[in-house]
Amino acid sequence: MAETQLAVLFTSIALVVIGLYAAIFVDNIIKKIIGISFIEEGANLFIVGIGYKAGGIVPILLPDMDPTWFASNASYPLPYGLVLTSIVIGASTLAVMLALVMVLYRKYGTLSTSVMLADTSKQEEYDE
Amino acid sequence: MLDIILMIIIIVSAILALIQKDLLKAAILTGFSGGALAVLFQILLAPDVALTQAIVGAAIVPVFIALAVKKTQRGDA
Amino acid sequence: MNELIPLMVIVPMMAALLISAFSKFDKVIRIFAFVVAICLPIIPLASNYGLHFFGGYQPIVDNVTNIVYHPAITYSFSFLQQIFIAVIGILTFLVVFIYLTKYKKVSGPYLFLLFMGTASVTALILTDDIFHMFVFFEILALAQVGIVAASSIDYSYEMALKYMILGSIGSPIMLLGIGFLLAMTGTVNVTDIVAIIRGGLLDITSPVFLLSLGLIFFGWLYASGLPPFHTIKSGIYSKAEPHGAALLQSFTVISMISIVIIMFRIYSVLPIFEVLIVLFSVIAMILGVSLALTQTDFRRMIGFLAVGELGFIGLGIGLGTQFAITAGLFQALNEIVITALLFIGFGAIVNATNEVDTRKLGGLLAYHPKVGIMLLIGGLAMAGVPPLSGFQSKLMLVQASLSCGYPELSILTIMVSIATFVVFVKTFYSMFLRPKPHDLEVVDKDVPRAMVFAMAVLLLIIIAFGLFPDIVTNGISSYVGGMLQ
Repeated sequence: MAETQLAVLFTSIALVVIGLYAAIFVDNIIKKIIGISFIEEGANLFIVGIGYKAGGIVPILLPDMDPTWFASNASYPLPYGLVLTSIVIGASTLAVMLALVMVLYRKYGTLSTSVMLADTSKQEEYDE
Repeated sequence: MLDIILMIIIIVSAILALIQKDLLKAAILTGFSGGALAVLFQILLAPDVALTQAIVGAAIVPVFIALAVKKTQRGDA
Repeated sequence: MNELIPLMVIVPMMAALLISAFSKFDKVIRIFAFVVAICLPIIPLASNYGLHFFGGYQPIVDNVTNIVYHPAITYSFSFLQQIFIAVIGILTFLVVFIYLTKYKKVSGPYLFLLFMGTASVTALILTDDIFHMFVFFEILALAQVGIVAASSIDYSYEMALKYMILGSIGSPIMLLGIGFLLAMTGTVNVTDIVAIIRGGLLDITSPVFLLSLGLIFFGWLYASGLPPFHTIKSGIYSKAEPHGAALLQSFTVISMISIVIIMFRIYSVLPIFEVLIVLFSVIAMILGVSLALTQTDFRRMIGFLAVGELGFIGLGIGLGTQFAITAGLFQALNEIVITALLFIGFGAIVNATNEVDTRKLGGLLAYHPKVGIMLLIGGLAMAGVPPLSGFQSKLMLVQASLSCGYPELSILTIMVSIATFVVFVKTFYSMFLRPKPHDLEVVDKDVPRAMVFAMAVLLLIIIAFGLFPDIVTNGISSYVGGMLQ
């Protein structure tokens, strides 16, 4: 059943593309951040999809299993370990970004990036 | 079959989250997408990843976003 | 004593956590931070070369195919790692020292960020595992954002958020690249991947391999601030406190070379790889210098010059011969020291005048002669004036590009060096030598002693590397020779 793996690949690429669109073209900063979390989810889904083996078993070796049978049937566990780390990193990055947004909202009173983030360059142009 | 349905839920709720005018609804839809992703991980034979994703993607991330929306503003303007 | 290898990462990381947890006890963490900062350069110098396998999982030899697999996260420690970690340790010590003497009440979270950044770049240069590299790449990005956001300069939060948004677009893209590589090879250990590629078990002409190069390359461009990220990179330097900026640029340089070395080992079989690196480096050199020429804020100017210097490193590595890569890495080492000196020195000027616009400054040589002369020597070293260290590495780069058959590149290198010289001398003239404008008020307080001390130490390193480049280049050259075969 390679169709599942192919569908996972398409889903992850779709999530990355949706996220990239939001992160680049949407003006609202919270939506930009939501888009960024979609990019991260897409990358995670892709890596889990690599480890998946159609018709396989969960890669946990139980005492009554034959190791050779296990080795040929279990899905590949290395990517799963990587994704665990990457999910946690994504959540912490999101928290830091939202904290910065909350500080900046107090200063500008808006969530629009064209107001919030364009100001540095404007200030520098003004200086020159 | 379930996996295809879950993938459709993930993508549709992701798109819906980004076209909402109300940011709180967007936060909830993000949680929807993350929760569906957790179930999909379970189907993809990764139960440990599914547990983490269920906590982070379906609970922590939407709550963080909702908190940030509460401290700032709800409308998309 | 191979047990010291993981300690290079663990010591600053534990120190960071402890300092942040006990930040109430001001006096204790002051002493603790100072002691840890002294230890940082000593540990790499005392350690022996070798490999460290986390968890003690030794490499496994497959008896059938005779291929060695590395199941553990591997740290490899040799002369290159030793010299870079020692320099970053000295720099961290100086920065922590400046910070501790500058403020009456130290902030635990800020020291946490400084030590965490040091720990993550140390891990980046030691590691032999692409996923480990990705994890510390992310931690480093968070630490950099924190250092920028913690400064008291206007608009630092905006710059931090911008850098963070770009970073969190760049890092999942890099993760996707690592994912493609993992999908093709089934391992994340660089040595194993290289063995698979050399063994012909992987189709290197496949578009997936090329795609993974593109994705990881994008992450590398972000980490090293080459174009199109040069504006944001010089922006974060100018929005951080001067001692923070000195450390930030060293983080940039180290993450640049450690990622590029890993990429070089994996992708150097593709001819397009070296072309890509040379292309982006040349753009960075030209853009960095020409943008530096137009700046009036001198912190911004140093930021762009630092980006331009990164181009020299990339040029050396992109040329791909043993001599060229040695030149590039030596240039990286020099740049860390020289740019740190410039950031600290100009920070001292900001401290004394509260003014960053070069047009409103002047006549400072009479007030701060020591800082002025040390800055002048640092700037000359950056522009490549003999007998300072920048001259040695740039000379090597020019020779390397000539011997590779690209005289155009060596001409470009010399021209960019001359432009750097012009930019620096122009700024130095308008800040130090020109008659003092009437409306400029020089706050008549001394430059902090710690800053002068830090500059003197860095200056000694610059002169030592300039007079005796062999102590470094021989070791780097043998490392590169081992990497290329």
